[in-house]
Amino acid sequence: MLGVVLGVLLVARVAPFLSSTQEKITVFAGAASAPVLEEASRIFEARYGVKVELRLGGSGSVLSAMKISKTGDIFIPGSPEYLLQAARLGIVNITSGGVRVLAYLVPAIIVQKGNPKNITSLEDLARPGIRVGIGDPKSVCVGLYAKDLLERNGLWENVSRNIVVYAQSCDATAALISTGAVDAIIGWHVFQAWTPDKVDIVWITASKIPRIAYIAGAVSAFAKNKHSAERFLNFLTSNEAQALWIKHGYFATAQDAKAHAPDAEIPYLEDLV
Amino acid sequence: MASLAFLALFIFVVILAGTIFLDPSTLISAFFSDEIQFAIVLTLITATIATVVALIVSIPAAYVLSRSSFPGKDFVDALINIPIALPPVALGTALLIFFTNTPVGIFIDNSIVKFVFEPPGIILAQFSVISVLAVRLMKPVFDGIDSRYEKIARTLGHGELDCFVRVTLPMARDGVFAAGVLAWSRAMGEFGATVTLAGATRFKTETLPIAMFLNLSLANLENAMAIILILLALAVSVLLVSRKIAYRGAIPS
Repeated sequence: MLGVVLGVLLVARVAPFLSSTQEKITVFAGAASAPVLEEASRIFEARYGVKVELRLGGSGSVLSAMKISKTGDIFIPGSPEYLLQAARLGIVNITSGGVRVLAYLVPAIIVQKGNPKNITSLEDLARPGIRVGIGDPKSVCVGLYAKDLLERNGLWENVSRNIVVYAQSCDATAALISTGAVDAIIGWHVFQAWTPDKVDIVWITASKIPRIAYIAGAVSAFAKNKHSAERFLNFLTSNEAQALWIKHGYFATAQDAKAHAPDAEIPYLEDLV
Repeated sequence: MASLAFLALFIFVVILAGTIFLDPSTLISAFFSDEIQFAIVLTLITATIATVVALIVSIPAAYVLSRSSFPGKDFVDALINIPIALPPVALGTALLIFFTNTPVGIFIDNSIVKFVFEPPGIILAQFSVISVLAVRLMKPVFDGIDSRYEKIARTLGHGELDCFVRVTLPMARDGVFAAGVLAWSRAMGEFGATVTLAGATRFKTETLPIAMFLNLSLANLENAMAIILILLALAVSVLLVSRKIAYRGAIPS
């Protein structure tokens, strides 16, 4: 008798998640934009009744998932390189008007709260005994940018000796430092806003940053629900959403980002927008 | 009968799905690639070490659990069943937190052996997952051996350890061997605890399951399928070898 009651309660609790009558869109996104996408999708669903399913992970990994499964309404990688890769694969169309730039990201060194190892520059990452973590350059935007940053400053050989782990997504990279598993990571500046009580940010000297990234999204060729997908992307560029990006620590304009890296290149911006 | 047919069909389809994607030349080039060669060797070495250590610990543990009664025995019995129910990724996370956030763990990791994001972490992760499994598998083996054999040996003047080694263990040989084979197979396939504690670093902590994960996340389906087939081949050879050994010196029942 108790079993029947519990069973009914369980089914009633779970059923809403199983019903497929509600309109929905799936968003494949790099974990870099997770906090804003999560909040924005809740607002969007409450307002328009369209369920937004987020599939988060390393930008390369989620792109692979889209490629293999041939599903997905929207692709929002953490940097434009992956958008271009998606275009080459025919997964998104980047002709003008399709791509929305959402927020800007600047690479920075993130250290444990209080900076116990006293890391003040990129060169310090090469110090003997310092344990460094970065994202996997093959599938994580911030990993790609970290390797590029180190290579262009002639530091890759020395620092890579200290790299003990390559994380498989942005949030895994951020977790490396917030759990204290490494002494420093090269991450996006916004990681500090994610766990401000556990980590500190060490800005990289402006002249050393060759390029800054931006989060951009486009509707995918596999979209089943193009109308709602376009609507969600438009929502993400609205003033209301801009306030969300700023609230969560992202740079909403190129100018704000370039304040930390005036000479940095913003790749492909003219080509995509 | 129907469920057996279903199971056999299920396994056949999974294997078939793997081979459809591949032509032999892709499989061979994947097999001989540096990355997969490294992964094969690393997986074999770590799984074997982990199994040996797990057996050294779990054989006596299973024996004691089977034979002795001591205060708190039920509690200990329940305690060692917990890691089996725990998802490997949770075990790996617990270990990671231990080595990076507790004074004892930090000391061990920095001054004795480095486990976090290093190859020894693979062995520790595998060991954590398989050791309690091994105890659980071997306790019934010792339960099934009549303790009178040991008691008679004791009355004939042999010491406890002597009895265990020369009377009990030989009788438990098949069960211990089977448990060892299962534990080794489980170690070969260990992923969740390994990736959390040792990381997924190519050419450093890249075991076969981790290599599959990395190749899948880059949509390298050919490599991923090759790894599946390699793991299948290893599983089949283990089964064949263990059947041969088990029947070679079979004690008639």
